[in-house]
Amino acid sequence: MTATGGAPALHGADAADPTGGAAGAPVLARSRAGRLRTVLGLARVEAFLLVRSLLVLAGLLAGGAVVWVLFGSAEPLWWRADWEIGGGQLVLGMTVLVGAQLTAGRARRDAMADLYASFPATARTRTVAHLAGLVGAAPASLLLIGAAAAVAQARGAIGAPSITVLAGGVVLVIAAGASGIAIGTRFPHPLAGVLGALVLFITSATTQLASGAGIWLLPWEILQDQLGSLPGRLAGYPPVGAHLLELAGIAAAAGIVALTLTVGPARARRGLAAAGILAVAVICLAGTLQLRPIPTAELNHLVREVADPASVQHCATASQVRYCLYPGFGRQLPALEAPVRGVLAHLPARPDQPLTLEQVLSPSLDSTLTHGHPKRQVSRWQAQLQRAPGSAATASVIYLPVGSWPAPGAGLADARFDVALAAAVWAVRIPSQATGSPSGELYLPCVPVDQAREAIAIWLAILATRPPAGELQDGLRGPGGTIGTVGAEVRNTFVPGWNYPGEYASYVTPPGMPGTTAAGYLLASAMTSLPEQKVAHVLKSAWATWLNWHTTDAQLAAALGIRMPSVPLPPFLRPGFKPGPGVAIVQPGPGNGLQAPLCTA
Amino acid sequence: MTPRSANIPRTEGAPPALGQPGRPARRPRLSWLRVLPVLAWPVSRTMPWVTLISGCLAGTGYLAVMARVADTSHSPLGPGTVRLAFLPAIAALAFVLRAPFRPVSQAAPVPAWVVPAGHIVLAAPVLAATCWAQLRIVAHAIPPRNLGYAPAVYPMIAQLTGWCAVAVAAAACAGRSRYADLSGAVAAPVSFAAIALAWYPPVTARFLVEPPGTAHAVTVAWYAITTAALALTGAAMRDQWHRYTRYRQRLARGQ
Repeated sequence: MTATGGAPALHGADAADPTGGAAGAPVLARSRAGRLRTVLGLARVEAFLLVRSLLVLAGLLAGGAVVWVLFGSAEPLWWRADWEIGGGQLVLGMTVLVGAQLTAGRARRDAMADLYASFPATARTRTVAHLAGLVGAAPASLLLIGAAAAVAQARGAIGAPSITVLAGGVVLVIAAGASGIAIGTRFPHPLAGVLGALVLFITSATTQLASGAGIWLLPWEILQDQLGSLPGRLAGYPPVGAHLLELAGIAAAAGIVALTLTVGPARARRGLAAAGILAVAVICLAGTLQLRPIPTAELNHLVREVADPASVQHCATASQVRYCLYPGFGRQLPALEAPVRGVLAHLPARPDQPLTLEQVLSPSLDSTLTHGHPKRQVSRWQAQLQRAPGSAATASVIYLPVGSWPAPGAGLADARFDVALAAAVWAVRIPSQATGSPSGELYLPCVPVDQAREAIAIWLAILATRPPAGELQDGLRGPGGTIGTVGAEVRNTFVPGWNYPGEYASYVTPPGMPGTTAAGYLLASAMTSLPEQKVAHVLKSAWATWLNWHTTDAQLAAALGIRMPSVPLPPFLRPGFKPGPGVAIVQPGPGNGLQAPLCTA
Repeated sequence: MTPRSANIPRTEGAPPALGQPGRPARRPRLSWLRVLPVLAWPVSRTMPWVTLISGCLAGTGYLAVMARVADTSHSPLGPGTVRLAFLPAIAALAFVLRAPFRPVSQAAPVPAWVVPAGHIVLAAPVLAATCWAQLRIVAHAIPPRNLGYAPAVYPMIAQLTGWCAVAVAAAACAGRSRYADLSGAVAAPVSFAAIALAWYPPVTARFLVEPPGTAHAVTVAWYAITTAALALTGAAMRDQWHRYTRYRQRLARGQ
């Protein structure tokens, strides 16, 4: 026998309501106070269970791992990093959803609904307590924020975090938990919670689901934004306040659904219906606010920042080299100056054209930015962006894309080498010739085949940054670790190449400018084993000759008194090579491959 | 009867001596094979069909919606979407292995693992059909290529098979833990974590993801994982349930 007389637990829940519905006002007040005490007591227990839940702990760890992956190796930018922390909160929210669903479905899943129905606390009271107990998910969420913020700061994050964005992450976790309670109240089977968590994940992991401003309607978008390509915060991108409102509305709506499922008196149902309508209205309002176009003035400013960086950048000159950085990026200056100074210190004579290091932006004006604006306006912006620096290689300017500079660590050494090599290429006057455009589908930089100035440039970069020899040697290896398979075809001849450290990380744009050769690297490597003074003397004695593109590696080696190192051939050019079954070797020649141009004067 | 009663000690035969693990009663070797046909009906009745089919349909439905969206937005589906769509089926599979009346089945004249093993056997064709349906949906959603060949399907089948085996192994292990009553709810996140671990870190991705791994290498690696996971599942399902031994020892000391 049960308190509900065998009636379904949830339906019989209010049978134990102590107010009875006919008592006077003092009794009602007392019962309300008692119910509040019950709710608070139950909520404290549920919150404690959630705090020590293994699922929440696992979600915290997984969320931390996701934030770490999203941060990547680049120097964190707070206007991007705080949104990425929300990506970790999404993962934490998934586990909180599962945990909350297990909590809410506990009574029915364990076939204890009849027993629970005999308790003085009604099903509605327990649901309110479950919802209030979601406070127990907040410590994990705040811990995630704290840990991620500490990591970002330790890696030299630029800018300042947005409290609204970070708060949005906490609200996301609470909203996920409330959804879990709503699911668990109706579907006690644990699979329902897992499926709910998958739905939450899939909305953010599937790019086809939303485009344009619609990406902000998802619980937390992590794949389609361009925050990493911006030089600072852009108002309305993302629409943080409206998104926070949407998440709060979802949390409220889920809570109302959960309460509605635990049927109460008609008056309460009317109240819930009104609250539900209000929550839906809030969600719709927030959605509308998020779909509003970004203000034209903001986009005009962004386009000006991209197309005419000089109008916003702060420039500094050191050793006659100009460094132009966007506001807030000044702390990168020492890391840029050091390798350039290292190159200049070993240079016999500078080119007439002064060197400039300039940050550039590479956002594409896609629909997430330009939604709601007339096509003509968008075309005008696109035309302005075509004139942006960095879209064409320039010999005397080194472009540094915003968002690609690495955080302190292994990547920073590579980035410093890339800057040093770019400065050395300017110093030895290797031109910025190329086939195609850096932003186009085809881009082939020129290759200084058998030119002494290339070896000198690499030697200068090695002296300026002193990278590990093993890392430099690895640049000769192609896919599968085979030496000699890297290279380019120049004038119908295969030229073994050398991938310098960080070549594909785009610390400097356009990358791979020029295409470095294995011969140039091997000669430069041999030069580093000679006394610096001796090499400097040889270079200074005939600097103009060495800069001539007709002067060969062999001539430089002879002047230095060393043998020209032998260049490893790719396996398919070695004598006796037999291709495997079904493999045909196409010899270099007209029409048999893309031809990179030769670097000339 | 509730699932929490899974820890009830074995009732068959005489109680084992204190300090000794519970031993199953001696049965004539393989004599229980004769009752398998009789068991077929109860095994299929206790199979959580609704759970499994819900998971499979949820993923397939999602994929169908995505194929429709991809069609209208002109952004073709990739193999990644199929993998995402198979995750609900993996989650459902994690709940299939649950044996709520294990103490009863342990007292029966057939080994206790026969019922969960039967459930896995019954789940296999449902999962195969789901995989087939999802691949068909994606095949329709991917535009025909003018040049070259479509990517091979066999590495993906190997991968999905491996995921299923990992989920089953996680469920079998969770079923022998203190979280036996929530085995699926524990096993599903564990399986997802294992899948993510195979997918993202470069060390594992080199062997388990194509590219960077080759189709052949990825297939071999996932079938090797499947074999290992099934071996682990077998070991977990034949577990002798020792935990009461320690409890009894504690009781004995208390006396």
